[in-house]
Amino acid sequence: MGFSFHRPDTIDAAISFAGVHGEDARFIAGGTDLIIQINRRRLAPRHLISLAGLGLDRISETSGEYVIGAMATHDAVVTYPGFQHELIALAEASAVIGGRQVRNIATVGGNIVNASPAADLVPVLLTLDAVVELRGPAGARSLPLDRFLVERGRTVRRPDEILTSVRFAKPPTASATAFLKAGRRKAMEISVICVAAHLVRGGKARIAVGAAASRTVRVRDAEALVERQGAGAFHEAGRLAAAEVTPIDDVRASARYRDLLVAALVERALASCAERIGKANP
Amino acid sequence: MSSYERRVAGKRLPRIDGIGKVTGKHVYAADFALPGMLFGKILRSSEAHARIRRLDVARALALPGVRTVLGAGDIPQIRFGTAIKDRTMFAQGEVRFRGEAIAAVAATSLEVAEAAVRAIEVEYEPLPAVFDPEEALLPGAPLVHAGWSDYQALPVFDREGNISGRSAIGDGDLEAGFAQSYRIYEHRFTTQHVHPGYTEPRAAVASWDGNGDVIVWSNTQLPFDMKNMLAEVLDLPASKVRVIVPGIGGGFGGKLRVGVEHYAAWLARKSRRPVKLITTSEEELTDAYPRQPTIVTLKTGVTRDGRLLARQGRVILDCGAFANSGPATAAIALQVLAGPYRTPHLAFEGIAVYTNKGATGSFRAPAGPMANFAVESQIDLIADDLGIDPLEFRLRNVYREGDKGPAGETLASVSIEECLRRAADSIGWSERKPLGKKGHSRGKGIACSWWLTTGGSSGVYVRINPDGTVTLVSGAVELGSGAITGAAQILAEELGVELAQINATDVDTHVSPYDYGAQGSRTAFSVGNACIAAARDLKRQIGALLAGQWNVPADSIRLEAGSVVSGEKRMSLADVAALSQRSGGGLISHGTAIQPMPVFDPNRVRHHPLPAWTSHSFHAHAVELSVDQVTGEVSIDRYVVAQDVGYAINPTYIEGQIEGGVAQGIGQTLSEEIVYDGGRVLNANLTDYKMPTMMDMPRVECILIEKPSVNGPYGAKGVGEPPCIQPPAAIANAVAAATGVRVQSLPITAEKIALRLAGKAGKDG
Repeated sequence: MGFSFHRPDTIDAAISFAGVHGEDARFIAGGTDLIIQINRRRLAPRHLISLAGLGLDRISETSGEYVIGAMATHDAVVTYPGFQHELIALAEASAVIGGRQVRNIATVGGNIVNASPAADLVPVLLTLDAVVELRGPAGARSLPLDRFLVERGRTVRRPDEILTSVRFAKPPTASATAFLKAGRRKAMEISVICVAAHLVRGGKARIAVGAAASRTVRVRDAEALVERQGAGAFHEAGRLAAAEVTPIDDVRASARYRDLLVAALVERALASCAERIGKANP
Repeated sequence: MSSYERRVAGKRLPRIDGIGKVTGKHVYAADFALPGMLFGKILRSSEAHARIRRLDVARALALPGVRTVLGAGDIPQIRFGTAIKDRTMFAQGEVRFRGEAIAAVAATSLEVAEAAVRAIEVEYEPLPAVFDPEEALLPGAPLVHAGWSDYQALPVFDREGNISGRSAIGDGDLEAGFAQSYRIYEHRFTTQHVHPGYTEPRAAVASWDGNGDVIVWSNTQLPFDMKNMLAEVLDLPASKVRVIVPGIGGGFGGKLRVGVEHYAAWLARKSRRPVKLITTSEEELTDAYPRQPTIVTLKTGVTRDGRLLARQGRVILDCGAFANSGPATAAIALQVLAGPYRTPHLAFEGIAVYTNKGATGSFRAPAGPMANFAVESQIDLIADDLGIDPLEFRLRNVYREGDKGPAGETLASVSIEECLRRAADSIGWSERKPLGKKGHSRGKGIACSWWLTTGGSSGVYVRINPDGTVTLVSGAVELGSGAITGAAQILAEELGVELAQINATDVDTHVSPYDYGAQGSRTAFSVGNACIAAARDLKRQIGALLAGQWNVPADSIRLEAGSVVSGEKRMSLADVAALSQRSGGGLISHGTAIQPMPVFDPNRVRHHPLPAWTSHSFHAHAVELSVDQVTGEVSIDRYVVAQDVGYAINPTYIEGQIEGGVAQGIGQTLSEEIVYDGGRVLNANLTDYKMPTMMDMPRVECILIEKPSVNGPYGAKGVGEPPCIQPPAAIANAVAAATGVRVQSLPITAEKIALRLAGKAGKDG
């Protein structure tokens, strides 16, 4: 019953704390999911280790890439100048996570580590071939987000590892992203289906789908089709994407409806990307 | 009713309780605390229907900080209930729904109380359960209450087995009516459980004093009903129970009946410490008083030119494991089915049915949205089939002034035609299916209804103070609607003072005069009338006091602008109050009001607790919306309400009521549902119970129609409940107009529409 709250000043102190307490400890970022899990008695950590004092909340860019600190809030993503054009899908996804109060405290790192199949930002990051940076007792390691996610609630992160940032390459000018979400209401909503797409003119296509499988997934058959055939294949890509996912029936929606949504939203997200590329590169 | 210009009534003045609430200083029941207070928690059944074989509280009692553990064996076995005394505080040997209280704990902290509840051991022996109300009606169905015939009940209800109440309304010759009909239509509609969605959970703090009296601070809507009910359960004279309502964060009919107050009172009695209980979201969604699900079947015969000839209907209402207001709600559904349409031959039956699910209650306009969804959906289906415009079809059939209502009562102040025309004009009805944006279908829908202003008496004490202010002591609580501000505006008008001079007190059953309570769209209406009576009495007192002194006739004395005036003579109201205090105890009055019952034909109604409606109101809603042709997502573009309010005491707060009611109606229509899988609620949390957010709400355009009632203050009619009645039907009709998909089950989710558009679902979606 109850927990101790720790607020270390350095990443190393946080890691060593986690090492000492093992399974009894949890890192806490925004806490918008963790606290609910604790209140619903699904988790009962004895120690909460805050990541708030570690300076991980910056979003930055170099000539080649963007780095989002794990503690950057969704609100920060929504307003970040670099995410208003080719990378607008990041802002679009962050803008529909929870409500204003949630976006003001919930973090990008939390959205990733929590590994909800319905996480809104994760499909966008997957389409950007994002790489996550981890720090643990043995030092730093990085790996593609696609390999970081295992299944609902599970990643390859070890209990004493901290996700410090997520990074991805700056996209070429003739490219675009789009994010779409379906739910029963327009805010404070967990996605029934969410879809992200990333198209590079004459180049790669990335499509990822959330809430349609035991984790957020890329739909590679659909991607390959679009890379081969372009805009004429968007409708068929939607159909292929629906065939690649394995949604379930639950209280939020039926699998049948989720299939329908995947097909529709994948086609729309691709069309939106194509339109955005056209508008920005007349 | 005079037509003189009013100074205070009818004005958009700020509410008298506004500052405290918007600055966060107002103390709600959930905020209330006492020194040394313990925290209570309830152990709830994990089975839908089972015998309790063993209940062992030893481990709970042994936990440090636990002061009291109570089970069925520790208190007298007293049955209570609104229509039927079918419920006990704790399950007595048998649980009847998953979530029913089995035991309660009081401990020094909420965490300890929760741990103690988890430490209680219960063994169950499952019993056959019934969850579907139609199955519950079949011969041989498991009985939810095997001992139903031994229960005390209001004599009006016709009960048998799982039927907790059966009512009927009828007139004419149904068979002849159908025989004469040009066409006959039969449809079935279903509606879901929805929670009232008040912001503040149900909360109570109970404390016993040295005289053996109990004080309960609660956010109940009905403090006097609560006082009597607690006296019953505590086996005390009612005078020993004092209920105080510090503040209440919304009720919507969900806080009419006892929730946590009796547990707090019993735990406090046993532990000899004040005890507080407050519900969680999970408790709210499993053991509260949500709107009952219904199955409504309608058979309607019409003439070739679209006149209703014969209508037959049946409402099966799933009241859950305890009747509460279910039998009355099933009965009131019949008036909603009947009106606002003339029908020479009709026969409607309402059946409230027990199932092994959570109890239900009187959520805002009980029966209204369910019955109206059925009637108004079917009217559109019929009109479209006959090739008659749905608005025109309605106008051919609606009540006219002087018509007979369903129980043969004479209808006065009938405004339904004006409501329909104003709503239709505003939405641009002539273009029912405008062009949608790419990938979207657009359509418009209309629905109308009528509703009552609930009766019951109101009393107020009004005191004019020597500082010129006026104290209003009402037994009705301010639910948040602004109704007490409305009553205060009437009082200020009558006394010739400003609204800001009126102070209204909290309700305290030891102090406040009796009021039937903040329910049934009656508060501003009935308390307003009581204020008029009190003001008249005060004028009489003032006249008697000053007539001799001033040597003027008492009837020449008037109140105006804070003064008492007769000819050249003038004295401030404050000075008159001071004079009265010096000479005779002050200016205090007890004003009372009750609505007269209309005359009706008893042959038309059977087993109906409320056969004829008082001070009925009429209203029409019109909506324009867009539907995504693939995902089925509905976006409401415009929403118009034309409501006859009789007299708009304060248009701002009436509009607030309309906007809020439409929001709740939109929730019931598009997104909200307590989803049961057998006896288990699948979404007992606010993540998956989907009330609309501001992002889902259109701007609601309000048209206030003022056709005065005979009995309301200045002609007012009840306004609070009606706005949530028509959204389901209006939206269903608009979705059908837009897409051709007619959804006959609530909620009308995007999924139902999309699967129907894709040809992947059954007809009822």
